[in-house]
Amino acid sequence: MAQIRVLSPVGVVKVQTVAVPSLPQSWRGRTVGFLDNTKSNFDRLVTDLGELLRARYGVAAIVHRKKANASTPASTELIEELAKQCDVVFAGSAD
Amino acid sequence: MAKQGTPAGLIGTTAFQGLAVSEMSAQGVSALPLLVVEHPLGGERPDSIARRAQQAFEQLNALIGGSATRSAGTATKDPTTGATTVSNGPPTIQSGLAGPATTMPQSGELFLDLPDDPTAVFEAFTKRAWADGLPIIPPTEERVRAMLGGRDGGKTLGVMPPLWRQVTLDKLAVNAVMAGCEPRAFPIIIAAVEAMLDRSFNLYGVQATTHPVAPLLVVNGAYGREVGLHGGSGCFGPGFRANATIGRAIRLILLNVGGAWPGRYDMATQGSPAKYSYCIAENEAASPWEPMASGDTVTVFGGEPPHNVNDHVATTASAVLTTLCDTAVSLGSNVGWYFSQSQLMVVLGPEHARTIADDGFTRADVQRFVYEHARLTLGQLKLGGMWGMHDWPRWMTAVADPATLLPQVPSPEDIYVVVAGGSGKHSAVIPNCTFSRAVSRPIAVP
Repeated sequence: MAQIRVLSPVGVVKVQTVAVPSLPQSWRGRTVGFLDNTKSNFDRLVTDLGELLRARYGVAAIVHRKKANASTPASTELIEELAKQCDVVFAGSAD
Repeated sequence: MAKQGTPAGLIGTTAFQGLAVSEMSAQGVSALPLLVVEHPLGGERPDSIARRAQQAFEQLNALIGGSATRSAGTATKDPTTGATTVSNGPPTIQSGLAGPATTMPQSGELFLDLPDDPTAVFEAFTKRAWADGLPIIPPTEERVRAMLGGRDGGKTLGVMPPLWRQVTLDKLAVNAVMAGCEPRAFPIIIAAVEAMLDRSFNLYGVQATTHPVAPLLVVNGAYGREVGLHGGSGCFGPGFRANATIGRAIRLILLNVGGAWPGRYDMATQGSPAKYSYCIAENEAASPWEPMASGDTVTVFGGEPPHNVNDHVATTASAVLTTLCDTAVSLGSNVGWYFSQSQLMVVLGPEHARTIADDGFTRADVQRFVYEHARLTLGQLKLGGMWGMHDWPRWMTAVADPATLLPQVPSPEDIYVVVAGGSGKHSAVIPNCTFSRAVSRPIAVP
């Protein structure tokens, strides 16, 4: 049978891998931040996980901030605030 | 945040793990720690959340202790015992709450050499998750060149979420060919993609959400009509090549260029038929008012499928619009919860539009009436929906009286009024997804 050449419809990713800072080995005395995407129960998860971090790692403070809503990016100001205040930040993703 | 030097990580659930991993990879930060807990979080009791917090903590512990890869682990539930274990191996990809795993797209191949047989081409594209479930027109170099019409195929319009792939004209052309578009439709497709990439449209939210949103294209102007776009009887349904193929091209672009594959990156819980193709022209000839947008313009609106408004008895503007407003609001609608981005589209059938206009109403009067009357009370809104995760302006959160009727959208201008359809006493309302604002772009008519 005759052949046909067809082009791929898939977009190409051009991405540069970024080196990301490692998590600290010692968490005692540190401030841990949580960027809450406002999805249901993430706040409860933050409370419970924060307690575990305090009790088991000696984390000194938990900073909990919420995005305006779940479906738009966090504001630059919010990101900068967390970066300034916290030694480590975890962001909630999706549901 | 990590790019700026602050150690960071993500916390997600099993059902959305694939999206998170791919998103991190597309952003160049695949080394970020990802803690994965059992899905869902929403609707779970406090003890269940506590268990998930323990899962996250154990994964973090493993990461810090160095006994696992940076990809942490996966929380899996034994269906027999109900016990949850966390493995510290590479995350496994969950396919969702039920159903078979979705096929993973393979983006490495730039072209395929296939038997020149429609079925063989269809099967090859389906196997690679390059199509929408329907047969396609094979995108040969000749067809793609014709679609480009002399344009530079390497020109990029930006990057498309959720996988942040390059939006080059050649890829748009490939998908347009696949969809069955005529080359003269290509300027409309380019304009629509430009509109969707506008920050206001929030394409990332539209692509990845669990809501069934699909971009609706409403085209105004003579060029759309010349291309064959239909705004008359049955315009939202099958039968009109331009409507069907332009709308389909947009969906194929969102799938193949953006990477929003259902169940993995497009997390729509149920999806909608509007995700196949969603494109109409305004019926400017039958409209008693000026066009919704001037000139040759495409407006993209992130909306649900049309909700029918059936009123066979109204003889006044108020009566038609009262029926319409009642249809426009419901506790289960997304509109109004993220207030600043909430919008509503009103698609008036020509007969309803004529009744309204004969009563002296302008388009602005329609917008004002709907804004004032398409409302729910605070008490109703507290019953469910997205209560508790809403994003309202300060004046709305300060309202205390449960009988207060609250607006769904910030202003009358956030109600888009378009005339479309044929004979009959039907109109439609299209709620938006609450986190995307409509964007219009001029069509670069050749």
